[in-house]
Amino acid sequence: MEAPSLIEEIRFGYGPRAGTSLSPGGLEPERLLAQLTAPDDSAAVWSRPPLAVRFALQEQYKAEKMAADLLTGKQGKTAKAVKPPKVPEIATSAEMTKTPQMNAGADMAKTAEMAMTPDMHKGSPLMPRADDPSLTLGQRLKQMQFGDVESYIGRPAVTAVAFVERLVNMWSNRISISNASNNVGNFLQSFRDDAIRPNIAGRYADMLKAALWHPAMQVYLTQTDSIGPDSVVGKAKGKGLNENLAREFLELHSMGHGYTQTDVTEFAKLLSGMINDTNGARVVPRRAEPGKKKILGVTYGEGMNEINRLVENVAHRQETADAVAFFMARHFIADVPPPDLVQALSATYLKNDTELVPVYRTLLQHPSASDTNLQKVRAPHEYAVATLRLMGLNGLEQNMTGFPKDSLHVPAAMARMGQPPYRALRPDGWPEVADGWMTPPMMAARVDWAIDIARATGDRVEPAAMVDFALGDMATPLLQHAVAGAEQRWEGLAVLIASPEFSRR
Amino acid sequence: MPNDLILSRRAFLIGCSIAASPLLTPVTFAAAPGENRLVVIILRGAMDGLDVVRPLGDPAYAALRPTLAADAATNPRLNDFWALHPAAAGLMPMWQAGHLGFAHAVATPYRQGRSHFVGQDALENGTGGADGTQTPSHDGWLNRALFLMPGARADTAVSVGQQRLLVLDGAHETDHWFPVSESPLSDQGQNLLAAVNAADPLFAQPFAEAQHLVRNLKGTQIPNGPNLPYRQLGSYVAERLMGPSRIASFSFGGWDTHRQQDRTMTEQLTNLTDVLLAMQEGLGRAWNSTLVLAMTEFGRTARENGTVGTDHGTGGMAVLAGGALKGGQVFGKWPGLGDGNLLQDRDLMPTADVRSYPAWALRAMFGVDAGGLQSTVFPGLDMGSDPGILL
Repeated sequence: MEAPSLIEEIRFGYGPRAGTSLSPGGLEPERLLAQLTAPDDSAAVWSRPPLAVRFALQEQYKAEKMAADLLTGKQGKTAKAVKPPKVPEIATSAEMTKTPQMNAGADMAKTAEMAMTPDMHKGSPLMPRADDPSLTLGQRLKQMQFGDVESYIGRPAVTAVAFVERLVNMWSNRISISNASNNVGNFLQSFRDDAIRPNIAGRYADMLKAALWHPAMQVYLTQTDSIGPDSVVGKAKGKGLNENLAREFLELHSMGHGYTQTDVTEFAKLLSGMINDTNGARVVPRRAEPGKKKILGVTYGEGMNEINRLVENVAHRQETADAVAFFMARHFIADVPPPDLVQALSATYLKNDTELVPVYRTLLQHPSASDTNLQKVRAPHEYAVATLRLMGLNGLEQNMTGFPKDSLHVPAAMARMGQPPYRALRPDGWPEVADGWMTPPMMAARVDWAIDIARATGDRVEPAAMVDFALGDMATPLLQHAVAGAEQRWEGLAVLIASPEFSRR
Repeated sequence: MPNDLILSRRAFLIGCSIAASPLLTPVTFAAAPGENRLVVIILRGAMDGLDVVRPLGDPAYAALRPTLAADAATNPRLNDFWALHPAAAGLMPMWQAGHLGFAHAVATPYRQGRSHFVGQDALENGTGGADGTQTPSHDGWLNRALFLMPGARADTAVSVGQQRLLVLDGAHETDHWFPVSESPLSDQGQNLLAAVNAADPLFAQPFAEAQHLVRNLKGTQIPNGPNLPYRQLGSYVAERLMGPSRIASFSFGGWDTHRQQDRTMTEQLTNLTDVLLAMQEGLGRAWNSTLVLAMTEFGRTARENGTVGTDHGTGGMAVLAGGALKGGQVFGKWPGLGDGNLLQDRDLMPTADVRSYPAWALRAMFGVDAGGLQSTVFPGLDMGSDPGILL
């Protein structure tokens, strides 16, 4: 595969990686699109366990716990004896510790801690010991989650097809789930790998279906216990609907506007009884609301096919096309994207049956895609990964002098910058505009990270050459001058990494 | 206030260090804003007011909440009509002292939808638009109020927390506080870094504020994540208010209780109790001149849903606390929950614009005039008669 150019790496990847070469010149759309079908060497090392393995591990864990509980006769106590005590579970709603889905704000202290356990890399390298039989199943599940986060950081840091990782992350933020409510941790990675990743070069309608039917989404947006009030179970037990997934699907994943409360309620009826567990995805008729549902002017009946028909119809609506187009243009180009670009993306999307590759092509061919004026601010994940690439790291290094226990602790740094990995605070995902990342505490944390990385690695580099490698012609004379004027190598590197230019893409 | 004034001020302030720039206009330093203190809490996720302060005296309530209000008989009673969720029992002494109250059946003007995000933005922007459209300035009402507040300075208002807070965001300089670590860069390194950041219009101000934060936080404990434990948060807010700040705001999320509401609510109310008690303790005598106003984007369905939770609704509730409050009462007009009283047969009917509470507080505590409040701060608001929330 032909190497990407610098602007391709910066705007559509995570910046250039040390030790790799770049193609000269500007942006070539087909070269970037070729990444979507190129062999991906990072997969072999950084792939994570698929859904079936995760289900199996969890089932085993539950069985082990139940057996232990039976033996001791003390429910819950055993779970404490086998550390760690709180392993998030899925599709067992009664054990959910916290419902929602809507966790913006100052209450996330506890949930964020887990992503930042200081010794989470203990025993690394990679893919810690999810299959180590000497560990309890609870420990193995926890190790698996640590490995998931390590791959979220490490895979884009080493990959040669960074555009692929950018797309996976963009769509995973467009259709977001989060471990912030501490109940989908075992399955979050599978949502990315099994619902999003296989569809980044496919149809958006199919991505929406895969997302809607993924068990992690159903748990995250509290769909699993939504029961049709007039269904068999509903009538027998007096149970009813939960509108959460129906509403957020329309508001966040697809249309954004143009529907009514009645549409939400009717859609919730259509979704009632849906489930995806070890027995597969299906609608349980005893729990599904019987009868016709009129949603956005179309009448639907019951069952999986009808749900999928609705998704198809919604995916093809103008509102969805516009929302997806705006999201993409804002993600890659500018917080306030060029209206003609948004319009062009939307038109391409509808003309191509929601196929995404033609939409990417339209985006890459637009003049704004190759403009060397970098308008976007990197999110903390992108910023941290760009730093790792610049220094040729993957996040798991154990010889980082100056860091606690000589390990980088990237998740903790990301949390301080405002983005604890896999723990988006709201169901609409992470901020997609600069404003969300530029509070004084987050800025201070960015500078902190730059300094820590530079101190650990900067005595071996030539700062002026690093500016050139990182930014080429996009470095301002002021930055070149400042980096060259630092007292020590590492301080020069710190100035580069903490510069606005390096925070942009 | 005309928009061009905001813009010119913003342009003027770019690059100034946050606390005490000599470039600030003289009026900014004219007078201290007095001893009154206001804390605005944004409760994100739509708090279920009907669960927090329960209308046990309403004959329709029990049937709407068969599971959630099953423990009604043992709830702490506020009076003949109202009871408190048991997880907030720690606030009973505050209620008995007259330092706690609630405004029930309130809502923002946003009624055309039940989106968290539109709803929160509407709440913080202070818009009068029923569709939630923000004012053209896209800033926060509390920020706009600072321009109308005699004696307001750059350090009068502070947002506490890692994230941006729309309610305080805007053209008026404000402080932002959250513990961060010190910088090991040499002076020269600092200067070089400051220079490259100052040259970027987007980074100049946040970087300067970050440096300000670093300089002023020596010795503070650094949290291991984006949020502070609630007691600590309350203490920090009190600390800021014992310094030059008179207005503080922070966000408090996690109220979106679609399922198994009781678990979440118990945790949330425990935390809310913690934060209120910590502020009361930290403020000491200054608590007597303090008003805490906690508001949420909307309420939740009057009926519990199929998963022992509640879905997005309309009429909600605000929590009021502080020694400045004429507390011990539930403010507002109760619309009732019986047949025909609910909005669209699902939500608590709002009987007041929630914005009238901060409006009256700003007027009484900081001398913001009613004309400005009803046009600039809260466009389209009719403040109506004084709800009498302050002593």
